[in-house]
Amino acid sequence: MPIETILFFALSTVLVIAAGAVVTLRNPVHAAMCLVLTFFTSSMLWVLLRAEFLAIALVLVYVGAVMVLFLFVVMMLDINTTPLREGFARYLPVGLLIAAIMAAQMIAVLGTQHFGFDRYAAPAAVVEGSNTEALGRLLYTQYVYPFEIAAVILLVAIVAAIALTHRRREGVKTQDPGKQTMVTKAERLRVVKVGSESKEGRGA
Amino acid sequence: MIENWSSLIPLLPEVFLLGMICVILIAGLYIDEKRRGIIHFLAILTLALTAVLTLRHFAVGQRYTALGGMFVRDGVGDILKLFVYLSTAIVFVYAKHWLRANKLFSPEFYVLALFAVLGMCILISGGNLLTIYLGLELMALSSYAMVALNRDSPVAAESAMKYFVLGALASGLLLYGMSILYGLTGSLDITLIAKALESGRQPEVAVAFAVVFVVVGIGFKFGAVPFHMWVPDVYHGAPTAVTLFLASAPKLAAVGMAFRLLAEGLEPMVKDWAQMLGFLAMMSLVVGNLAAIAQTNLKRMLAYSTISHVGFILLGILAGSEQGYAAAMFYAITYALMTTAAFGMIIALSHSGFEAERIEDFKGLNQRQPWLAFLMLLVMASLGGFPPLVGFFSKLYVLQAAINAGWLWLAIVAVVMAVVGAYYYLRVIKVMYFDEPDREHQIQAPGDVRVVLAANGLLQLFLTLFVGSLTALCVAAWQ
Amino acid sequence: MITESLLLTIALAPLVGAIIAGLFGRQVGRAGAHTVTILGVAVSTALSLYVLKLIALDGHPDVNLSVYTWFEIGSIKAEVGFLVDPLTAVMMSVVTSVSLMVHIYTIGYMHEDPGYQRFFAYISLFTFSMLMLVMSNNFMQLFFGWEAVGLVSYLLIGFWYKRPTAIFANLKAFLVNRVGDFGFLLGIGLVLAYLGSLDYATVFQKAPELVGQTFNPWGTVEWAVPTLICLLLFVGAMGKSAQVPLHVWLPDSMEGPTPISALIHAATMVTAGIFMVARMSPLYELSEVALSTILVIGSITALFMGFIGIVQNDIKRVVAYSTLSQLGYMTVALGASAYSAAIFHLMTHAFFKALLFLGAGSVIIAMHHEQDLRRMGGLRKYMPITFATAWIGTLALMGFPGTSGFYSKDAILYAVGAADRPGATFAYVCLMIGVAVTAFYSFRMLYLAFHGQERFGHDDHGHGHDDHHGHDDHGHGHGDHKPHETPWVVTLPLILLAIPSLAIGYFTAGPLLFGDFFGSAIHLAEGREPLAAMAEHFGHGPLAFALHGFVTAPVWLALAGAGLATYIYLFNPALADKAKSALAPIHRLLERKYGFDELYQAVFAKGSVLLGRVFWRAGDQTVIDGLMVNGSAALVDRFAHAVRRLQSGFLYHYAFMMILGLIVIVGAFALLK
Repeated sequence: MPIETILFFALSTVLVIAAGAVVTLRNPVHAAMCLVLTFFTSSMLWVLLRAEFLAIALVLVYVGAVMVLFLFVVMMLDINTTPLREGFARYLPVGLLIAAIMAAQMIAVLGTQHFGFDRYAAPAAVVEGSNTEALGRLLYTQYVYPFEIAAVILLVAIVAAIALTHRRREGVKTQDPGKQTMVTKAERLRVVKVGSESKEGRGA
Repeated sequence: MIENWSSLIPLLPEVFLLGMICVILIAGLYIDEKRRGIIHFLAILTLALTAVLTLRHFAVGQRYTALGGMFVRDGVGDILKLFVYLSTAIVFVYAKHWLRANKLFSPEFYVLALFAVLGMCILISGGNLLTIYLGLELMALSSYAMVALNRDSPVAAESAMKYFVLGALASGLLLYGMSILYGLTGSLDITLIAKALESGRQPEVAVAFAVVFVVVGIGFKFGAVPFHMWVPDVYHGAPTAVTLFLASAPKLAAVGMAFRLLAEGLEPMVKDWAQMLGFLAMMSLVVGNLAAIAQTNLKRMLAYSTISHVGFILLGILAGSEQGYAAAMFYAITYALMTTAAFGMIIALSHSGFEAERIEDFKGLNQRQPWLAFLMLLVMASLGGFPPLVGFFSKLYVLQAAINAGWLWLAIVAVVMAVVGAYYYLRVIKVMYFDEPDREHQIQAPGDVRVVLAANGLLQLFLTLFVGSLTALCVAAWQ
Repeated sequence: MITESLLLTIALAPLVGAIIAGLFGRQVGRAGAHTVTILGVAVSTALSLYVLKLIALDGHPDVNLSVYTWFEIGSIKAEVGFLVDPLTAVMMSVVTSVSLMVHIYTIGYMHEDPGYQRFFAYISLFTFSMLMLVMSNNFMQLFFGWEAVGLVSYLLIGFWYKRPTAIFANLKAFLVNRVGDFGFLLGIGLVLAYLGSLDYATVFQKAPELVGQTFNPWGTVEWAVPTLICLLLFVGAMGKSAQVPLHVWLPDSMEGPTPISALIHAATMVTAGIFMVARMSPLYELSEVALSTILVIGSITALFMGFIGIVQNDIKRVVAYSTLSQLGYMTVALGASAYSAAIFHLMTHAFFKALLFLGAGSVIIAMHHEQDLRRMGGLRKYMPITFATAWIGTLALMGFPGTSGFYSKDAILYAVGAADRPGATFAYVCLMIGVAVTAFYSFRMLYLAFHGQERFGHDDHGHGHDDHHGHDDHGHGHGDHKPHETPWVVTLPLILLAIPSLAIGYFTAGPLLFGDFFGSAIHLAEGREPLAAMAEHFGHGPLAFALHGFVTAPVWLALAGAGLATYIYLFNPALADKAKSALAPIHRLLERKYGFDELYQAVFAKGSVLLGRVFWRAGDQTVIDGLMVNGSAALVDRFAHAVRRLQSGFLYHYAFMMILGLIVIVGAFALLK
């Protein structure tokens, strides 16, 4: 058995177990950590396929950025997970049944009988040299249109995120350093003339 | 590689639209609240100019492709786009009044709506699974954000959440179907996929399996039963101005998506997807109409009525003939114009602090506002498919196409359910004309809303006179 | 040249007037309303006459053009189109010119009515609808026009909607016309089913294919298709043109204002049925049975409705029954395949009957809306113009040699005399007697109104008034009881209508009846020459023919009728009462109009109420309410409840539904197919 095959099965096993743990573990932090493991193993699988750019991107983006943010949120919010799990036992049998049917359906169709190598030749190694360069070349030539659309989608995401979260709250005290440094004497200092008190008045 | 810039000319409307969105986005930062009307004006101007650009190279009877087949301009796409612009412009006119009254009048609404329009255009013009999917996502993402636009409303937030999660699920399913298609045919290009499938070398079960997922994705966008669950909640929960938008233009885009994916890409599999659409259409007709009867909230009722109308649109598509596609397109166009009028009426009767969204709110409208009541009568009757209004003709064409394609039983179901459906439209009319008003109908709608509403309502009547030309256009788009 | 825009102008000018007067009546005011509508109709009239001139004198070829395709469903095309041939040109000219006269007349007749603008809008709308009907080149537009004129007629009969009798009358007109229209629609449906087109040209071209085809509704019963189509279409004509037994609505329609009675219920709309049959001559020529039926129904109407005219006391009703009877004459002409004679009589009748109605209206104005002949008399002193024109109208109606009515009526009599299909003899006898009856009741009316003692002003108003005599008592002060001649807007149309009533027959009888005027518009079966007998006598020109008339039976019968009326009502009024008591049973029968109303009331009205009750009890309450409505309502309810439960609001329920749907579709349509 070649080393690739052994690695593939080992990594896949870890991946499936970790993914299962994500949805079954009670502690959200543990679940998140399992998700990290899932991502990690799948990026290993990418490496096996020699898609090193995708592998690195997966680790950098998901593990490095998304999951860290996610963990922050989970820890900060301290979500009480028990109510979320109330129906779990009740729905489990139905869910399992449906999942089993679906799995059966998929196996019936997607096995090697329809997608085996006898039907489709294994893809030739397309890339000579750097994976990243080849991807970049493709993205800016053949796939420039979808690439631009993806950029627009990100723009929408930014607009939406700002529109939904940013608001000017009334009565919140904040500092504006710009204003603080631009302040002039005239704004802060007021010279008040106080007339001398009359003695007669006090006497009365 | 882009060797020749002139090959990008077909893309001009979309490029212009994107540029203007950026302009509006930036202008929105600098324009203070009192002068937000400028944004409104700019947005409508953008749509008008985009329509002009689309018309300049109007592609009825032609087919241009750009960017290696990823972008397609043809008659079907152009006509659908024009009506997307039109219905969005109508939506903007109505929406302004509502947004003002509810203190939601912000540039974001316009920007997001225009982004959604851009997504629809990309979707309608998609010649490649990738662009179709991205267009769909662009449209969907903007829609999710629009639903949540009213941050102070927990109902809106909840419905946005549902919409988002279910939409993601549907996208996932669609993507899965697309990936199987790619695996089977080795191509993302619609025409190449069709060519590969034509050869019949792929295992039939596997192709049918992929088709199911594609159909599910389309069914979700349409809101066809059983992928309709988001529709009532989102229609109800979203700000009315947003509901108005979601109910009109995206239906046209969904028709475009169905055309690209099913009628072009999966054309050799017509037998398979027609069966599936038949199931969806039947369920939609039955569930939509019967459930609408039980509603007391007008927005919810219209949501279920949308589901039933989707059944009719699917009925045209599943005929799988040019006649059927043209009929479905005609149906979607007329439906978009009807539904804007129906929601426009809700907006016209609403004012700050009051939302005329219950059917009871229309009680005795005829005594107070006979003109508005008459317009509502036209719209309801047209939705119900009463002759001689245009809604009748759109149903007629669809049914005829379905019968010609041998779907007699489904056509019978459709007619029976249309009769059932007439009940709830008539109930609105009855409430307006025969019930005593129990409150004052304050109309604060400004002049532009009234004018557009009148035009939109009377359109149901006038379109009848031009049914011939409009259907001829729809048919020409397919030749 | 007859162009599309010319024809569109003709049709649309009255519509524009109607829209302005109807929608902006308040803004344009009374004068504005009548100005625009009259202007619109005047434009139409002028252009129609121009079209007639082009077609009749300049030999312009027939025009058949499609203006607009409304929609296309499969092979069925719904179009708006115009077919202008001699038949259409004549109809257009008659419709527009009578309509113009009535428009002008209305200024005088309705000047005190609060619904002045509405009225003008209606009559202009009517003119538009009628033009669309006659100019149509297809069945669809014909049907729409047919329904539109029916609708306007319905609105106008009930114009004084506060009067219960008017409401009853318009309801009656509506219901009776429904029966006719139902047949008409079935007929059109059959045409479409068997010939696959709604276009006249195509249908007429293919019509011969129908011969020999049969339709079997059930079992072994077989009906000949051409006969079935023709009879069903004729049912429509019976409704619209008020033929027995669907005639009952027309006398009651006199509840509407008099200008309407003249325009719609005498000159134009009621002749739509006649026009339609003439237009369909290529179909009717295929069925002897249908033509015989038409012949018999027409002759029954012609004679028996004439009889009723004798006993009527309401001036408008006398004219109404005479209209019924004259429509019968036209129908008989159709039945005798003398389509051109029918159209010719339609034209002359339009003029003289409009004249008589407007004359009656003029009398009614002068009498302060009194319509009972027994309260009139001696009016000739007070209103000379009305009197003179009424005489002219009466002479034309009785068919006095030389008047227009003479030529058209004689043509029909000749045609029927020469016809040899079953029922022709019966029809001939009926028409001959009818001639005498016509003369009798027309002169009776003339004498009672204009001659003899003045019987008005003797008793106070309100005494002895029953419902349909107590017409329209709005407005007029009753202080001045002396009648006076009506204003010029009333008398001018009378004079303008009197001219064609007298003379049009003289000038047009030759070309219309014997020339090849109608060309291909009217189709006759091989070897049919219904007017050959008359042509023999007509050879020496219209004047000689008129003189020859004095030695023929019809004229002497007419003169006898007139003479009898003269003797009874001018010289020996007591005789009328004596005759009435001597012939009491007959008189009662006529007064009751043969009991049609009672019959319908008893059988159809009561019967349907009874039937309704039976169905309500047996069907509605138990089956429909119990099982279907409540049952289906319960079902719907349960269903809606179920949907509502599914629509729980929980996200995972929704997602679950989607997955379930996916699995079902995969299972049913991908794996198990």
